[in-house]
Amino acid sequence: MMQHYVADLHVHSLLSPCAAVEMTPRNIIKHAVLAGIQIIAITDHNACDNVYAAVQAAANSGVTVIPGMELETKEEVHIIVLFDSIKKMEQWNAFIQPFRSGQMNDETRFGAQYVVDADDELVRVKPELLLTAMSIGVAAASREAAALGGVCIASHVDRPVYSLISQLGLIPADASLAAVEVSRRMKPEEAPVLLPAIGRLPVVTASDAHTIRDLLIGPRTVFCLEQPTLAEIAMALAGQGSRKFMA
Amino acid sequence: MTVQEIVSRLGLKIVAGSSGLEQNITGGYGADLLSNAMGQAKSGSVWVTMQGHQNVVAVASLVGMAAVIIAGAAPVEPQAVEKARQEGVVLLTTPLPAFEVIGRLYGLGITGQ
Repeated sequence: MMQHYVADLHVHSLLSPCAAVEMTPRNIIKHAVLAGIQIIAITDHNACDNVYAAVQAAANSGVTVIPGMELETKEEVHIIVLFDSIKKMEQWNAFIQPFRSGQMNDETRFGAQYVVDADDELVRVKPELLLTAMSIGVAAASREAAALGGVCIASHVDRPVYSLISQLGLIPADASLAAVEVSRRMKPEEAPVLLPAIGRLPVVTASDAHTIRDLLIGPRTVFCLEQPTLAEIAMALAGQGSRKFMA
Repeated sequence: MTVQEIVSRLGLKIVAGSSGLEQNITGGYGADLLSNAMGQAKSGSVWVTMQGHQNVVAVASLVGMAAVIIAGAAPVEPQAVEKARQEGVVLLTTPLPAFEVIGRLYGLGITGQ
């Protein structure tokens, strides 16, 4: 039986140095419930340590948490990488480990990187610099994520910074992308006209929330699915099996 | 050569960090990838880039750049200006293309070595 699910597939927790400290997994889930968001992806910059707490915090909340990450590739392109399980996410995290810069974060310049539990208690401060490029390109990274069963979405392609279009101006033919995302600054239906470089890729939208206010305002994408799972979302993006989405 | 001198010679616009104009420039660096500038540029450099977002300021501050020139009339985000004011990073803009800016700096004796 098909149902509508409101999804926000791009949300930062307080692990991202640029996100507000109010973005604890518990607080994100609490406000997702209030805002009627049923599927939420936690996508911190180059890291996924707060996904565990988000999954715990979402237990019995009616919100489905999708493990994810916002990867910064060597071209300084941001891509959302989503997985259907913590295990797959961990395999991905292990795969990208050798591509990390090895630099340490400077809190005063970039912001603090907090790992917390489902009760908002601080577990540790992540020392590695997350707000920088990995030494793997967008094509290789997206292909590897897809090989692990992951779904890749090019982040905020309408933005003048850190986007596939701003950095490369095109979609590499050998990349494996399920969709592109536009930010709140552009209407998804306008994207193919305003950004012809995205070609025929499906266009979704998400909040890219760094604050609770961002999360409450949206935008979001509504999916028409049998179940609130990543496999179903992938089917909707590909236009398969009567699954649909409305950005 | 001081930051003030290149501002005068190239007709650059000062958008932030006017307190740092007396700094001496010891070299130049050109790159639009922040990760590259962070890893390769030397302290005291003038950095020519087309990126105008706030992480440029973080990198400039981390490296200890003498100044950042945002070339080619590239847009500068308000958050970048605000952060540069807070951090005391000299942020300069120009409609000149990056190649032209670097060429003129080289002509003034600022090199990349």
